[in-house]
Amino acid sequence: MSAKPRKMWGTKEMASCMQVMRVVQSYLDGQTDQVTARRVANHLDACRRCGLEASTYREIKAALARQAAPLDEESLERLRAFGSSLSQQTARGEAESGSGDTSPPA
Amino acid sequence: MRATGTGLPAVVELTAKTGAHQPEDPFNRYVLPEVEVLLRVAHTLTSRPADAEDLVQDTLLRAYQAIDRFDGAHPRAWLLTILRNTHINRNRRRRPELLDDQDAAFERLASTETDADSPEGLVVGSAFDAVVSDALDALPDRYRQIVTLVDIDGLSYAEAAETLGVPEGTVMSRLHRARGRMRHRLVAAGLAPRRKL
Repeated sequence: MSAKPRKMWGTKEMASCMQVMRVVQSYLDGQTDQVTARRVANHLDACRRCGLEASTYREIKAALARQAAPLDEESLERLRAFGSSLSQQTARGEAESGSGDTSPPA
Repeated sequence: MRATGTGLPAVVELTAKTGAHQPEDPFNRYVLPEVEVLLRVAHTLTSRPADAEDLVQDTLLRAYQAIDRFDGAHPRAWLLTILRNTHINRNRRRRPELLDDQDAAFERLASTETDADSPEGLVVGSAFDAVVSDALDALPDRYRQIVTLVDIDGLSYAEAAETLGVPEGTVMSRLHRARGRMRHRLVAAGLAPRRKL
């Protein structure tokens, strides 16, 4: 006689629909631990309703990723140049003073 | 204050300071690689590209001033916290009423799930993307920001939480609800299957 399946999320290999729907988005975002991920994946393979819903969320995420607008390269370059200038300012300050402290602006 | 490529802002001249920046400058190591992410997130937080650039520039300056106190752990999270605080301070200085209005608006927002009763079927393509885009625009600000930070800007939950100054659990719950609303819109448009009970 086979053992009765245990109902706890932490011990059962196949999770329930409700349990899966609670974590499916974290799963799709790669933010669940490996054990949870395996159980969710097993459930999505076996349950058509949850599988379809997860597919829809995957498509939503993909559609959103396609919306990422390219950054303004000139703006990016100006900011990188500004950041580099800060480092260079530090290097010059060290070379000229060696010691002493100039407080940064408030 | 903006870096225009024609010269450094005057404030940079005030920032010469000493510190253990050499031989490997921690500002170069930890901060400069994150400029692109900071600019993406700044675009999400602000409404105008010029504001985003100004916000990142102020963030870089503050990071520079604080780099000697940074322990090197999780530089992106550290920078996103600076970005958030800088954004809040800039808004308070410029438009003190704005934050209060936003907070009040957030509290008034009620959950209004769209009725979903339409034919099943998955159709991918431009129609799907268009509905997703409309659904994103229709989300309340607090939901749209989270979705944009995670799904478009590519931040982790922890990084999005740092950016907005909310717990990770809040990020998760807002994401869950936001994507749920988007899915309902797709279902209503016949572009996603309705979940049968």
